[in-house]
Amino acid sequence: MAIIERPSAVPATVGPAGGVSAFVTPSKALGSYRRPVSTTGWKSWVFTVDHKKLGIMYGAVSLFFFLVGGCEALLIRLQLAAPDNTVLSAGLYNEMFTMHATTMIFLFVMPMAAAFANYFLPLQVGARDVAFPRINAFGFWLFLFGGIFLNTSWILGGAADGGWFMYSPNSSALFSPSHGVDFWVLGLQLTGIASLVGAINLIVTVLNMRAPGMKMMRLPVFSWMVLVVQFLLLFALPVITVALFLLSFQRNFGATFFDVNQGADPLLWQHLFWIFGHPEVYIIILPSFGIISEVLPTFARKPLFGYKFVVFSGVAIGFVGWGVWAHHMFASGLGPVTVAVFSVATMLIAIPTGVKIVNWTLTLWGGKLWYTTSMMFAIGVIVLFTIGGLSGVTHAVAPSDTQQTDTYYIVAHFHYVIVGGAVMGLFAGFYYWWPKVFNRLLNERLGRWNFWLMFFGVNLTFGPMHILGLQGQPRRMVVWPSKLTGQGFFNLAFWNKVSTVGSFVLALGVLVFVINIVYVWKKAVPAPLDPWDARTLEWMTASPPKEHNFDAVPTVHSLDEFFHRKYEEVDGEHGPKLVKVKTAEEIMAEQVANADTHIHLPSPSYWPIILAFAFPIIAYGVIFNRVLCVIGAAVLLLAIFGWALEPSVADDSDYDPPADGGESTKELASIV
Amino acid sequence: MHRSGDNVSSLSATPQNRRRWPIAALVVGVGVVLGGCAKNAPQDTFRPAGSNSQRIDNLARPVFYIAGIVGVIVLSVITYCVIKFKDRGQDIPEQTHGNPKLEIALTILPAIILAAIAVPTVVTVFALDKKSDSQCVINVTGQQWWWEYDYTAGNCGGVEITAPIVTAGELVIPAHTNVLLRITSRDVIHSFWIPRLNGKRDAVPGRLSTLRMEASQPGIYTGQCTEFCGLSHARMRQAAVALDTNDFKTWVDNQLQAYKAPDPGSLAATGEATFLAQCSKCHQINGILKPDGTPSLAEPDLYEVSGAAPNLTNLMTRTAFAGWTFDLISDKCRNELWNAKPADFGALYLQGVWMDTPAGATTPVCFNEANLRSWLRNAPAMKPMFSDPTQLASTGGRYRGMPNLNLSEAQIDQLVAFLLERK
Repeated sequence: MAIIERPSAVPATVGPAGGVSAFVTPSKALGSYRRPVSTTGWKSWVFTVDHKKLGIMYGAVSLFFFLVGGCEALLIRLQLAAPDNTVLSAGLYNEMFTMHATTMIFLFVMPMAAAFANYFLPLQVGARDVAFPRINAFGFWLFLFGGIFLNTSWILGGAADGGWFMYSPNSSALFSPSHGVDFWVLGLQLTGIASLVGAINLIVTVLNMRAPGMKMMRLPVFSWMVLVVQFLLLFALPVITVALFLLSFQRNFGATFFDVNQGADPLLWQHLFWIFGHPEVYIIILPSFGIISEVLPTFARKPLFGYKFVVFSGVAIGFVGWGVWAHHMFASGLGPVTVAVFSVATMLIAIPTGVKIVNWTLTLWGGKLWYTTSMMFAIGVIVLFTIGGLSGVTHAVAPSDTQQTDTYYIVAHFHYVIVGGAVMGLFAGFYYWWPKVFNRLLNERLGRWNFWLMFFGVNLTFGPMHILGLQGQPRRMVVWPSKLTGQGFFNLAFWNKVSTVGSFVLALGVLVFVINIVYVWKKAVPAPLDPWDARTLEWMTASPPKEHNFDAVPTVHSLDEFFHRKYEEVDGEHGPKLVKVKTAEEIMAEQVANADTHIHLPSPSYWPIILAFAFPIIAYGVIFNRVLCVIGAAVLLLAIFGWALEPSVADDSDYDPPADGGESTKELASIV
Repeated sequence: MHRSGDNVSSLSATPQNRRRWPIAALVVGVGVVLGGCAKNAPQDTFRPAGSNSQRIDNLARPVFYIAGIVGVIVLSVITYCVIKFKDRGQDIPEQTHGNPKLEIALTILPAIILAAIAVPTVVTVFALDKKSDSQCVINVTGQQWWWEYDYTAGNCGGVEITAPIVTAGELVIPAHTNVLLRITSRDVIHSFWIPRLNGKRDAVPGRLSTLRMEASQPGIYTGQCTEFCGLSHARMRQAAVALDTNDFKTWVDNQLQAYKAPDPGSLAATGEATFLAQCSKCHQINGILKPDGTPSLAEPDLYEVSGAAPNLTNLMTRTAFAGWTFDLISDKCRNELWNAKPADFGALYLQGVWMDTPAGATTPVCFNEANLRSWLRNAPAMKPMFSDPTQLASTGGRYRGMPNLNLSEAQIDQLVAFLLERK
């Protein structure tokens, strides 16, 4: 039995280093400030700093918002099912598509990627937790409160109605008098802070906390892509933060940043928004690229083809992604030189993107393909993303884009990329990592239904939108008149109906997923330790992983470390042949036998959730009553001081005596 | 490339077929999608009707073909892999990490294809920005939720315009003429788009952008505001009407004719008084006189956030109103007009609501009276606008769009009679 040093045995040192120092034990540090220690019950979740618990909570909340955003999408499709339809009023329709996009991007895809990153990045790099565990917890709570805050606008006077791009001056109080835009601006500020602190946290984790031998070029591709995304977030979020502050100051404090009558240029907002907004596209898609770059090699039983090319192209996308923002503005009247430059830059970014598709396909080539649900979703991503990528090339051609922009063709394009690429990739991740997180295999039969319904749903919903857009149906229109639908059986009214039917097929696929979760939860059959014969470090530990992740921090010798511990090359009749020399259980047993004797883990804390709670109070104050701002600021100040003065670890006496009657009060978990 | 499946023995067909049916279904599905386009969709971007849209089409079509071919190749390779390399109990493949030569080749290949696309793209971008060959300039101004067209005095495609003309919704241009639109906005950002004549150009307040327009034959080309502009974005539409030079001259002369007051004592004359009392604060009718004999000048800037309201001088020469959303002509006549041969189009269009009306008849056959009456009865009920007096706190009491004027049925009768003479 090893000692898990959750509360540190080393007392905090005050005073000059090397000089005469006074030792202060944690229990004496500001008496009442103690750290929570529950390992069970609701407190163990609310005050946790464990990256795995936070990852699960990120996932659960994101999944909830996915269902919310999905319902909004279904309402939009119902409204558009027939010409001149009346399911939604014009005002409600505008709120609906604004909130659909905002919810799906900021409250589903981004935090769901954060869920995977939080859970698996420390495991993949062989760390015990993230670099800043309390900041990690703060990020999650702020995201949750931001998401709730944003959605309370529905019952507090109406949601934002300016579209997710919120172009000025339509977003000013003059043209959008309800508080919806205020909720949107402040809600995004909150979730933005959450993403920003998360980004810094994960960057430091990857750069500083990798296991011995885990060189950057041995980093699993998922971790690489997450790293690129965190850098994109780090540089993109400040831009939108500034833009949102300008808009906030204009709406709430009488500033005139976007007021044309005061000499402002409305294109300022567009530049700021898209300098953030285009990297945001890659922020959304790269985590899924990472996920399928794990899933495809596992189920093809061979390494990712051209690992270095995939990593480099991911980094290249991260860089070039900063130089293409104005392709969202080809119709704005930027002038031919600007348009030509951004048009060519946009074509350039197709090259590293194409590299990825080529490498995934060649990973399949010559493999031994095992069609699990996860693998099917991953292949689905290659297929759908290829279609979405190629339609992207057609509007990199700027003159062609002036015909396509703001039509359903664009809606088709980015839904193939986001739903077909990002969301299907997340589903590949669900099926792949579910047994690791919950020790349950998701049901494969239900999984197949889930995949095929979603795959056909995506094509039925978004495929016809290519036609709708190219034949002249613009987006963001509450009604579409029958006189503009054209003639023939396959007219635009027909394709709108197909698309609506498709959206319900897609929704049914998601419903099957929810049923699958409940089904395996109830059935409670433990999963095998290594169900997929996987390749990376996160599989080299228990399912679910123990609180300290690894009994012994592994030393890494190669890319796909876990696979190479299981398999060795031996001479066969037809040349060298791979033979399994160890099972996952045997490798686990080795780990336990060589367990580290001192394992340091961060203690839980009250302050992240309290600090996060101060932000929505301030935000409501900005909208409704400035007194709330003062209250929120007081909570904020209190929380910052509490956070700063909190002892770095929990006091030994705060813990329950060990269950086995041992003497050490520091003993929290058996690792044998 | 290393292949490990070479020694796999041939397999029975059944499992393969089971795998293949979804892929076959996908191929059929894509085929249906590609083949199943609507016929004569009025805003089809693949039916260019002018030199600028033709130029875009010439560039875009090959790109679509290239993208299609690349797509078919990639998806075929994926399909091949999915079928060929299925786990049939073969050995675990050699753990190869890639093939740098192949990868470099497959990086350079798309780069070459994209370079081949980039050159004509840049050429087209500059060609579509050309302004020096313009034969006519028209100012286009967007506001919530309609377009205003302002023809400055001067030569337009060989037709002399002697005084400024201001119209709304329907942009009448001479065919075979390079028209340059100078586009801006009075409130939020809009975007002017006539798909069959050219791509989009945003109308940005405080900025002036240009857009080339040329129609190769007479006809009506519909469009839509394509930059989200608030509540009634979906009901901000427009059309370009191209006329032969002679017909265009007829149209210009008609627009510039002097105001003809209704016959004294007629219903229309009462309508004129009602118009002056109810509508003339915002809507201009050129030449109309107040009861005291002075010209009536609309002051929409006092009442509207945008500072503008449609000029109604020749309302009945247009085929739709209120952001070109509601027809002024009946469905039957609209179909007749939209499907007219280019040679017949101009004559039909110039008749407007009087199309098909027998000589000597006093009421026009094609007039869509129900739409106009309904609008006069309660405009915001037909088209959502911020014109309810209780909604005007953020605008200092100014409207965005037309309010409900609470007119009596008698007043509506009078106004319809009066407006019917604005032809």
